[in-house]
Amino acid sequence: MPDEAAPAFDLAGCLDRVRQRDQAAARDLVDHLYPLVIRIVRSHLPRRVAEEDLAQEVFMKMFTRLAQYQGAVPFPHWVSRIAVTTCIDHLRAQKRRPEFRWADLSENEADVLDAVMTNENDVQANDAMAAHELVHKLLGQLKPDDQLVVRLLDLEQKTIAEIAAITGWNQSLIKVRAFRARRKLRKLFQELQRKERS
Amino acid sequence: MNQNLNEPRHPWMRLTASARTVRDERDVTAPYGFATRVAALALAQERKVTSLFERFALRAVGIACLLALGSVALNYGALMSGPAGAPAGAMANVDDVLLPNTDAVAVVLDIAD
Repeated sequence: MPDEAAPAFDLAGCLDRVRQRDQAAARDLVDHLYPLVIRIVRSHLPRRVAEEDLAQEVFMKMFTRLAQYQGAVPFPHWVSRIAVTTCIDHLRAQKRRPEFRWADLSENEADVLDAVMTNENDVQANDAMAAHELVHKLLGQLKPDDQLVVRLLDLEQKTIAEIAAITGWNQSLIKVRAFRARRKLRKLFQELQRKERS
Repeated sequence: MNQNLNEPRHPWMRLTASARTVRDERDVTAPYGFATRVAALALAQERKVTSLFERFALRAVGIACLLALGSVALNYGALMSGPAGAPAGAMANVDDVLLPNTDAVAVVLDIAD
């Protein structure tokens, strides 16, 4: 439980001290922003990349570009954009996306997928983890930018405006990406239904 | 199966609704030593870039000054006896101005005359 008596973090003061090359302030800033950065990194973590390495890369970029921060957006938004673009760059670097096949699913995942495609019932509560894994595997079939938009829209339930604030993309572009991603997912489901579980 | 992905009963929507119920219980505080390492690396990197620039910039200024002084010293004579001191009409014959007095061929031709 957070300490109620703890004073609020003075972000502006901390940034001033970091600009004067105060190492203790830089450490405090990293500690303060780590939860925000690690949540973004974990939800967009590419395969075979350690989350701590990616988080470190985000922070290094943040310090390198600190002089460019003009205060047009709140500082955490600015950092989350850096985190998102860093994750996307890594996802883009993984040119080849593994094919989604029934055979690669665990028994539980295959059962859940089979169930949602053959009936109209909700996924059972004890199958939530399998559904979670399935969603991530299906998202892995999309292009990195499209993947990010669908993840933010459907999993994190952000609005288009919120996604625009996080990514820095304009709203029309986000809608186009969402449309394209959904079309690809629809095709994927049709294909999975055609192949069926062997 | 519903064809519209936005339809709440579409398998995708039911899967994401279920996936949302999974809570990420992992710790979100920075691992021990992470902030110290990142802060030290970031500030060291910044200092390295600055000091490299400073070092090269100062050296470049020093070398430029030496070159400038050297070239002035070498051409001191030419600068002093240049066209600046010549009368206004003298520029009419450019060859007279530009031909150095120490040109060997000019000296031989001068003797021949």
